[in-house]
Amino acid sequence: MYNLLYKELRLAAHPNLFIFTFLGVLVIVPAYPYGMVFLFGCLAPFLTFMYGRETNDIYYTSLLPVKKSDTVKAKFLLVILAQFIQLLISLPFAFLRVHVLVEGNPAGIEANIAYYGFGFITYAIFNFIFLTEFFKTGYKAGKSFLLGIIPATFIVFFMELIVHFPKFAWLDSIELSMMIRQIPILCVGILFYVIVMYLAYKISVKRFAYVDL
Amino acid sequence: MTVLSVAGLTKTYPNFTLQDVSFSLPQGRIMGLIGKNGAGKSTTLKSILNLVRPDAGKIHILGKDFQQHEEECKQEIGVVLGGIDFYNHKKLSHITQVTKRFYQNWDEQAYQKYLSTFELDEQKRVKELSTGMKVKYMIALALSHHAKLLILDEPTSGLDPVSRDDLLTLFLQLVKSQGISILYSTHITSDLEKCADDITYIKDGKLVKSAEKTAFIQSFQHLKEADETKALTLEDIMILMERRQYDV
Repeated sequence: MYNLLYKELRLAAHPNLFIFTFLGVLVIVPAYPYGMVFLFGCLAPFLTFMYGRETNDIYYTSLLPVKKSDTVKAKFLLVILAQFIQLLISLPFAFLRVHVLVEGNPAGIEANIAYYGFGFITYAIFNFIFLTEFFKTGYKAGKSFLLGIIPATFIVFFMELIVHFPKFAWLDSIELSMMIRQIPILCVGILFYVIVMYLAYKISVKRFAYVDL
Repeated sequence: MTVLSVAGLTKTYPNFTLQDVSFSLPQGRIMGLIGKNGAGKSTTLKSILNLVRPDAGKIHILGKDFQQHEEECKQEIGVVLGGIDFYNHKKLSHITQVTKRFYQNWDEQAYQKYLSTFELDEQKRVKELSTGMKVKYMIALALSHHAKLLILDEPTSGLDPVSRDDLLTLFLQLVKSQGISILYSTHITSDLEKCADDITYIKDGKLVKSAEKTAFIQSFQHLKEADETKALTLEDIMILMERRQYDV
């Protein structure tokens, strides 16, 4: 597993993957729709998959002494790693902004616990569609991205919009009591991410087994 | 000892079928897989390697079932696919650093030896290599993990006569000094006259014959026209077998 990930990072990853992963820092920007961070987290794998097609990355992996399913595993590991690191990078800035930007974020949701819960849900939905669709062929990255990014953008829109309604103001809060109320959203998000990624992996392996390279 | 055995290999595409292809390659021999463009040579090689999912057939490498022991079988082989370049903008040293992690038998000393023998500069990027040098780099990787079987898809296509001769000489030396086996597809029959021990001929997805080279050539001599005195060569055999009449 470590070798597969090493191969992905050294040979397969497009430099943009590292830049977009670093964009977790955007939560420190005043008055910015922080949902964009998740969309960058979806865009990064797409660019890397396009780059992989250009470099014949899947051919190379398939010729290594690994199972055909390991080609799928390598890509899943890379996507999961990039998205987790992006969220980890954003965390210290989410804490810092509470002290630096005391007036809050008028553009949309705060970088609070609910925000991270929505993040996991956005990633899970995008990944499921993008990865399972991609591994039907092993090369149609554009179509897979388009199909995945539409519902992902819809969730981000929903998250950014709902906090403007007074009834859902608690979702936009960084007060401790409100953030405790948001914890179930994060838990559901993480659980959803884990289950959906597991299913996506199983489906992708099955589909890729029938792909003729 | 049989290094590679292919039995009943079948793959159906909408407009093409590779049908019931069987042959075997003993240790220390070079087998040429011949056929015209589109005959099914690449499909055969890709099916052997599980890059293409065959509909039927069994592949054994050194006695092991490929489907069941994919990782172990791949440890024993080196592959060069014609016309496919990996990571054009990466340096060879980068690719090697990653590749060697996957092989249990990686021999760094041997790798350095092959680099210098083949005059490969590790600091060069893939796109800076000539076609012949790319093939040699892939062969250097394969030999450095002590592959017992080399599978090459049209390795000599696109090479000038000197580079082709160079590569064929290398094949012969590898078999002689290391006892490895080589299966390579080609439509350049003169290459086979020089270095193949066995010939496997595929026509329209079907196996025509797989035999030792002299016996193979002998078995097609009946195609000779009455006024022909010279024995048919591999090229003559292919042309006579594949010749079409156009009603235009």
